[in-house]
Amino acid sequence: MRALLCRQWGPPESLTVEEIDPAPMGAGEVRIAVHAAGLNFADTLMIAGEYQRKPPFPFSPGLEAAGVVTEVGAGVTRLKPGDRAIALVDSGAFRAELVAVERDVIPMPAEMDFVTGAGFGAAYCTAHGALDWLGRLAPGEVLLVHGAAGGVGLGAVEVGKAMGATVIATASSPEKLALAQAHGADHPINYRTEDFRARVLEITDGRGADVVFDPVGGDVFLTSLRCVAWDARLVIIGFASGTRQKIPANILLVKNIAAYGFAWTQYRREAPEMVYDSMERLFGWWREGKLAPHISEVFDLADAATAMRRLTGRQATGRIVLTTGLD
Amino acid sequence: MRAVICPQFGPPEVLRVADVPRPEIAPGMARVRIAYAAINFADIVMIEGAYQKKRPLPFVAGMEYSGVVTECGPGVAGVAPGDRVMSFEFFDCFADEIVAPAAHLYPVPDGKPLTEAAALPVGYGTGHGALEWRARMRPGEWVLVHGAAGGVGLGTVEVAKAMGGTVIACAGGAGKVKRALDHGADYGIDYTAEDIRARVLEITGGRGVDVVVDPVGGDAWEASLRCVNWRARMVIVGFAGGRVPQIPANILLVKNVAAVGYWWGDYREKRPAMMRDSVAKLTDWWREGKLRPHVSHILPMEEVTEAMNLLVRREATGRVLLDIGGEEA
Repeated sequence: MRALLCRQWGPPESLTVEEIDPAPMGAGEVRIAVHAAGLNFADTLMIAGEYQRKPPFPFSPGLEAAGVVTEVGAGVTRLKPGDRAIALVDSGAFRAELVAVERDVIPMPAEMDFVTGAGFGAAYCTAHGALDWLGRLAPGEVLLVHGAAGGVGLGAVEVGKAMGATVIATASSPEKLALAQAHGADHPINYRTEDFRARVLEITDGRGADVVFDPVGGDVFLTSLRCVAWDARLVIIGFASGTRQKIPANILLVKNIAAYGFAWTQYRREAPEMVYDSMERLFGWWREGKLAPHISEVFDLADAATAMRRLTGRQATGRIVLTTGLD
Repeated sequence: MRAVICPQFGPPEVLRVADVPRPEIAPGMARVRIAYAAINFADIVMIEGAYQKKRPLPFVAGMEYSGVVTECGPGVAGVAPGDRVMSFEFFDCFADEIVAPAAHLYPVPDGKPLTEAAALPVGYGTGHGALEWRARMRPGEWVLVHGAAGGVGLGTVEVAKAMGGTVIACAGGAGKVKRALDHGADYGIDYTAEDIRARVLEITGGRGVDVVVDPVGGDAWEASLRCVNWRARMVIVGFAGGRVPQIPANILLVKNVAAVGYWWGDYREKRPAMMRDSVAKLTDWWREGKLRPHVSHILPMEEVTEAMNLLVRREATGRVLLDIGGEEA
């Protein structure tokens, strides 16, 4: 079987595509023929040894895959061979065949293609969990989404609109902002050329945003603290800027602001029923046309390094998907 | 009438008792003859000039009181002369009388003394809002309360128990820990003798707490961040320890933890219905005996400086009151 392997911590170019034996499978596990797998920013951290989870070498990176169930172990009840499914895993998605625990595999709508399915779960679930579970975003509230053309950011724009919010989107170029607007953002702000704090206050008549979705971090987060409403909820998704900010507790206190750290993968492991509910809601919105997954590029496994450079260079919009050669 | 005046910012020694004109009644307002007024840590911050709410000098100090309504302005409904009430404001409570919006007055149940009433709204109200509004605490959760023998801390311990939590009380010194245990805390930690993180992990079987209520900041905050369960809500109530935490966002992220800022003083203006519901709930618990306001000192108004210094020196073993009109108010 073809697999993308990480044999030591390093840059994307150090990954290799190799032919390896099928993985053994045990009770409670599911084997999936992987057609497509979604690329995430976390993959680039994991291969560099900068992610909180460090699998033993050699491993295949990759957090999400879509394909067909080929075999199920003893005790598996939710899936059977032939089912189309999405697997959301800790690593291992970038290979032609994946073995996952049943908990991490979710049946996929029959009318959804594999490339769409491969890029669906992590981004939309992260957006939905952040905005619903933590941000408790209410209809009519103002949502500020940073990095709004990126994988999770664009998902947050769409989920925010589906939840009835007014969405302000920030990004670094007119092209990215046009994409965010095409996916429903009400107010675009180019943070390279505009003072986003002043613009958010202008758009909200001085009130500020109610919920902030922030995969960027650093100064973007700290400046956001100065354009939020009373009782605002800021959700910390990541640090694409490369800076891990320190948050002054007194600012949180005087404005009754909450800062939520959010690592979605832990919910998948420890509260999978919440993730299943989330996916049901998201599949429903997708069927209604409220979510339009934007797959900007599709690469073969062998071109994974090029694909990862799109993310690390912050060039990518929407989702990037790798394919294994199965159609 | 007599009132405690803050003529300049500084320590409690700057305060003076002086004669000032009676405040005038106005539409929607009620006049209350004050019986007792409670000292809060926030009063000390206020007279230092470091509180988030400001008023030009000189001003009448005092944030929390009980008393009897003596007069109502036009348009007041639901409050009548003779009613025993309790309330809080940012200013004006250390005086013979206050004129306050009638909507700010909360009834004192029959049979409950005005001494306890003067100590009810701020401490318990802050604790209840921290747990209910900010942390959304659920029955069965583990709650760590810092400064657990102080006014807000002790109130939080009792409210957390009334809400079905398991409470770990953290305070400085065996006497203070015992006080928190006497008020219902399940476990106590004396941070002057024990390691907060190690003890919390030991008590919770390695799981960590679900909710932290922290009026202290500094070291207490940092230790707490290292002994919380995933999905913990850490409520930032104040910085009595003197150091404002700079919270590392990446730790919040990898542990799925929330840092929840909280200033109770803003809620009555921003969310009046939530505030009324909260005080009504606290009054029910007080009537049922689930809350037991503990007044350790009652001093005459003229001794306001000494009354505040009991808090400054951390000598108060319960709430400190000024006797202004007494039960005869």
